[in-house]
Amino acid sequence: MIEFENVTRTYGRKVAVAGLSLVVPEGQVFAFLGPNGAGKTTAIKMLVGLLRPSSGHVRLGGYDLSTDARRACGLLGYVPDVPFLYDKLTGREVLHFIAGMHGLDERAAVERVHREMAHFELDEFIDELAETYSHGMKQRLVFAAAMLHDPAVLVIDEPLVGLDPRSARLVKNLLREKANRGAAILMSTHLLDVAEEIADRIGIIDRGKLLCAGTLEELRQSLSQRHSSLEQLFLEVTAASGESAAPAEALEHHRSE
Amino acid sequence: MTTQPARKLPPPVVPPPRLLGAPEEARLFWRLRWRLASNIFRQAFQQARFRMSLVTLLTGLLWVGLFGLFAQGFHFLKTTIPESVTHDETARAVFSIFFVSLTVMLVLSTGIILYGGLFRSAEVRFLFSLPVRVERIFLHKFQEAVLFSSWGFLLLGTPMLVAYGVVEEGSWYYFAAIIPFTLSFVYIPGAIGAILVLLIVRWLPGDRRKLLWLAGGLLALTAAAVSWSIRRNIDNDLLTPAWFQEMLARLRFSETRLLPSWWLSSGLLEAVRAGWDTAEGRRALSESVMFLALTISNALFLHQLAIWAAAGLYRGGYSALHAERPSRKRLKPARFDSLVLRAAFFLTPAMRLLIVKDLRLFRRDPVQWLQFLIFFGLLALYFLNIRRLSYDVNYVSWVTMISFLNLAVVGLILSTFTTRFIFPMISLEGRRFWILGLLPVKRETILWGKFLFAAVGSVVPSTLLILLSDFMLRVSPLVVAVHVLACCVLCSGLSGIAVGLGAKMPNLRDDSPSRIAAGFGGTLNLVISTGYIAAVVLLTALPCHFYLAAAGGLGAPLDATTDRLWNWLLAGAAGSIVLGVVATLLPLRIGFKAFRDLEF
Repeated sequence: MIEFENVTRTYGRKVAVAGLSLVVPEGQVFAFLGPNGAGKTTAIKMLVGLLRPSSGHVRLGGYDLSTDARRACGLLGYVPDVPFLYDKLTGREVLHFIAGMHGLDERAAVERVHREMAHFELDEFIDELAETYSHGMKQRLVFAAAMLHDPAVLVIDEPLVGLDPRSARLVKNLLREKANRGAAILMSTHLLDVAEEIADRIGIIDRGKLLCAGTLEELRQSLSQRHSSLEQLFLEVTAASGESAAPAEALEHHRSE
Repeated sequence: MTTQPARKLPPPVVPPPRLLGAPEEARLFWRLRWRLASNIFRQAFQQARFRMSLVTLLTGLLWVGLFGLFAQGFHFLKTTIPESVTHDETARAVFSIFFVSLTVMLVLSTGIILYGGLFRSAEVRFLFSLPVRVERIFLHKFQEAVLFSSWGFLLLGTPMLVAYGVVEEGSWYYFAAIIPFTLSFVYIPGAIGAILVLLIVRWLPGDRRKLLWLAGGLLALTAAAVSWSIRRNIDNDLLTPAWFQEMLARLRFSETRLLPSWWLSSGLLEAVRAGWDTAEGRRALSESVMFLALTISNALFLHQLAIWAAAGLYRGGYSALHAERPSRKRLKPARFDSLVLRAAFFLTPAMRLLIVKDLRLFRRDPVQWLQFLIFFGLLALYFLNIRRLSYDVNYVSWVTMISFLNLAVVGLILSTFTTRFIFPMISLEGRRFWILGLLPVKRETILWGKFLFAAVGSVVPSTLLILLSDFMLRVSPLVVAVHVLACCVLCSGLSGIAVGLGAKMPNLRDDSPSRIAAGFGGTLNLVISTGYIAAVVLLTALPCHFYLAAAGGLGAPLDATTDRLWNWLLAGAAGSIVLGVVATLLPLRIGFKAFRDLEF
């Protein structure tokens, strides 16, 4: 469903993403882990059509983002880490605009807006201007907007930033539920426990390279030693990446399929 | 590298999503705009009725004032140049020059605004993740940019056009035609600016700054060449009929038939003569309609061309622009900063550090000093060009009047600077108040630091400009002294007003200085500043003017009255100083109180 095919992206001379190949099939939650500046955001920007790869292809549901961005975006629900909302629109107006953009007719839009309002408990503030919302409220509204058209692909940058524990639990359950119903989900996070809890597969990226990807168990085995936590694994892999020019060769890659 | 080879998926693997047709998409975007506009107005009328009323009133007053000014000007032209051919030529020259300049400004301003809208806005990042046509995103931001770049023209240009119609007793057709003419006209330079931006960003993303400098340099050179070609080797005496004809001939470059500005000016000049009763009226009407059709068809053509350009270039350009690595330059402490620190030895260390901090922020934000530089550079260019006038017009009173008008212009530009950059400083501090708010520094110190930064920073360039103007006009040492005094009084007062009002009416929500300045507080700051400038200039200019006239500037010396006028001059200077002290201290005092009580 989500496919990076040998994707490289450069910023001037700097290589932000180097030869990334990755497939996230339907029904799977994939978590991107990596230190700051590792290339996660660049990969996500390519996935939502903001950036084009310098080489390679990015596809959603088989639609190439470079050549068929509209169809690809039609399948996409995107939750950025810093959400954009029209300050002078109410939450309800924002949701109706997005529903309309995804081709939902008026009746379906009303129905879906009500569904997501109930899901994310938006009733209290949905008819106030978005400029009055706290970060957490904005984040809940953006999640609701991303779910309106039942997207086949969900891309989430830092899913739990700004959410209170109750909303965080809601989002975790929702992601799991969406994946169970067939959506392909890619999320980028710094929170290792979140990745550990929700993700089916985890990929560690550093300096533009995907160092390893697989289930937590596979990743542990790939380093031929048992780590008690994902944190230890992450620190070891990224430390190795910093020390060696080609650390990835030392790691065996696993796939969960 | 252990990444797996990608598995080839047979495209597409899921049924295609429902995509909107272009008309449905357009409807949704127009509905979005309507909702945004109606929410903004509703909110403004519910929460800020006084502000809205004041802004509307001031805008109306400005419009009426400009209308009166233009009506007087056109009436003067009509009565001074009764001969119809020369009169028509003069009106055409005025319109052509105005609209040519406007064309250039609209190309640049739409281009610059659109660059920000298309390539740097958060809204576009959001819209790109929706299944929206790229052409629709472009159109959405393009129409917004045309509106933002041309509202000033609509505000300043319409009183001129209406005044011309009133003075020339144009028919209703003329007044009705103003709207489609101006709307279609602003679209043409706007679309040209948009296409240029798309081309530059797509094909020369890394060189866009160099290109901007180059374009700016070329524009300045062209302006200088045009100015020189108009003024060089004038054979006739100033303000004689022959001189007038020669000047009109030299302005003909603005009447090139291929320029949209010429279509607009010709269409409007014909429209004012249009009628149904005479053959001449009907001819003028058909000519005017032809020019209107020409302008509209070109606007539509360029509109379509811009959409095609966007379809082919926008997404690629966006990606290319963001492929640049942000510059990560290491900055060393500037020698200038340590010089300032040493020069301000008499201030407290905290205040010195605050001033240097603001200086650094100012220096590292080219948007700030570049606008200041352009305004003051243009003024310097103008001052350097007024020498000829001082030779030709041998009346001391005229020269003095022009020198004081120059002082007023410097003051007005300074007031736009204090409104645009000094007034928002306090509001912007609100966002980083966790730094200043936690320091063991009195809140007054922060405001004093900003006041000193503004006052000292503005007094140096302003005084230099005034001295340049005085040098070129060869005014007497007395006038120079009065000017320098008035300049210092203006800088101090304008800085006090901006800092005081900025603290009294902060806008802690916005992070854009231009939006903060465009709000109610900024508008009020500009209005108060303008009144203050008028008061200071009148207090110093009038007595000085009459004293010099009495002391022999206009011919016969009037000994009996000179003493009285000298006293009046001294009183005016003292009055301006008192006014300056009040304008500095009163707003600061109000600002101190408000800033002490401010909760972030």
